Amino acid sequence: MKIEVQIGSSVFPNPVTVASGTFGHSEELYQSPEVKCLGALVPKTVTLHAQQGNPPRRICETPAGMINAIGIENPGIDAFIAQKLPALKKTGVPLVISISAHSPEDFVFMAEKLNAAGGLAGVELNLSCPNLQKKVLVAQSEEATLEVVRRVKAVVKYPLVAKLSPNVTDIARIAQAAEEGGADAVSMVNTFAAMAIDIRKRRSRIGNFTGGLSGPAIRPIAVRMVCETFSRIRIPIIGMGGITCADDALEFLIAGATMVAVGTYNFVEPQTSLQVLAGIKAYMKENRMTDIRELIGSVQK
Amino acid sequence: MPETQHSCQVIENRKVGSVYYRLAFDAPVLAGAAQPGQFVHIRVSEGLEPLFRRPFSIYRAQDGRVEIFYEPVGKGSRLLVQKKKGDLLNVLGPLGRSFTPPGKDVRQIVFIGGGIGVAPFMLFSDRIKTHQAGKILLYGGRSKAHTFAMTEFRRNGVRPLIATDDGSVGVKGRVSELFSQIEISPETMIYTCGPRPMMAAVAAFAKANSLRGEASMEEVMACGLGACLGCSIPTSRGYRTVCHDGPVFPLEELVF
Repeated sequence: MKIEVQIGSSVFPNPVTVASGTFGHSEELYQSPEVKCLGALVPKTVTLHAQQGNPPRRICETPAGMINAIGIENPGIDAFIAQKLPALKKTGVPLVISISAHSPEDFVFMAEKLNAAGGLAGVELNLSCPNLQKKVLVAQSEEATLEVVRRVKAVVKYPLVAKLSPNVTDIARIAQAAEEGGADAVSMVNTFAAMAIDIRKRRSRIGNFTGGLSGPAIRPIAVRMVCETFSRIRIPIIGMGGITCADDALEFLIAGATMVAVGTYNFVEPQTSLQVLAGIKAYMKENRMTDIRELIGSVQK
Repeated sequence: MPETQHSCQVIENRKVGSVYYRLAFDAPVLAGAAQPGQFVHIRVSEGLEPLFRRPFSIYRAQDGRVEIFYEPVGKGSRLLVQKKKGDLLNVLGPLGRSFTPPGKDVRQIVFIGGGIGVAPFMLFSDRIKTHQAGKILLYGGRSKAHTFAMTEFRRNGVRPLIATDDGSVGVKGRVSELFSQIEISPETMIYTCGPRPMMAAVAAFAKANSLRGEASMEEVMACGLGACLGCSIPTSRGYRTVCHDGPVFPLEELVF
């Protein structure tokens, strides 16, 4: 059974990965069986300089989901490369490093640092960051997405993934812009802009006032977005949004995702990725499939 | 299954007094590893509601069994009430940083607990029974109904002193009414767990009198493993996760 998948020049042993931000930078987690079985590991987004993150409360439980506004707490790219990357490399799992920046220049600067660090399977651009010139997220503008992707692609030596925000009118158009810019894949979706209110205090339940919704609550929307985008681009899609089990992951694969990422549910059941991988294999066997490509985008209309 | 994940059979789950519940489950590995101040992260529902696990201080851990105390006030803890003897519990633990055991130089050990926050001090006092220091528990609760396990604390050589909001037992007022019992000395060690304003008062008192101490903090938690960074709180060393860097922090590092 062939379950390897390819993005650009990188081959991943299987299609199961984790959504950025759901594995932190915590070294002890890397040695667990859940990590060793992953097709790729995507650690929490790093920025050029250290960020301390948002004040509490940073998270809030909602029906079948959660709102978060962590604020990309991270040690900055230099400290990440020096202190965190060696342990990540030791896992032997292909690494896709998620980066975010406030300008195309900073994205390029960080990509060059990752080039120098060596040994990666990919770089993911977290484009859900403010575009200082245009006052919208980069991921909310076709032009800004195209520009950032194109400029990073010109320098980066690894396959390049653009992570898309669902907070747009037509996500496939942004995916097309990323493809035009030279992205080797898109990952979708990031969280949905959301809010929850404590009615007793009449205050937001989130310290940052608003945050991003993730978890099973968003899954049907994410599946629809993957399906719509699949027919409009040629590059692979990394699908995510509320995956809790193999059946959920299979929905994304059948909708058109080449890889699937477990996110929020890692917080509930740390071994979810193991179960997802086992379940995908069982499904393929049951349906007499020999190559994962038979599954990808196989939805009937 | 990771080493910290356990499938545990419920031994007992019953109301103790008029407010709190005590849940005991069979968990030999967990019971052997548990240190005072650590917590267990329990899946209260197998479905998606509520989504997150719920953290509970370890109240007792001995003879292969672990006990927690809880008050069914929220969506998660109310579901826990329904667990019956023989049911399986999906538990992560023991998690987090424990209290630092008192050194030999310590002459007075002061536990300061508010409401259910007293729970980790039972395990703590179980484990330091032979320590020579004088041990007191300053306990603050809403009423007599909210005091529990005082006999067991006495059995562990801890003298409980009580303050209640309504004066139904002990002195009437806040637990700070009992601070006069604390010996102002470098040989005193304070351990506190309870509502935030109470721990803020303890921290302020300790600072004013140059006393050493630790506090066990609480925050809304998702993963419990230091991965999501959702439960971070401000400290003098920057944001720290309650689940992984804590829940126990030195008093002087906390920012209230």
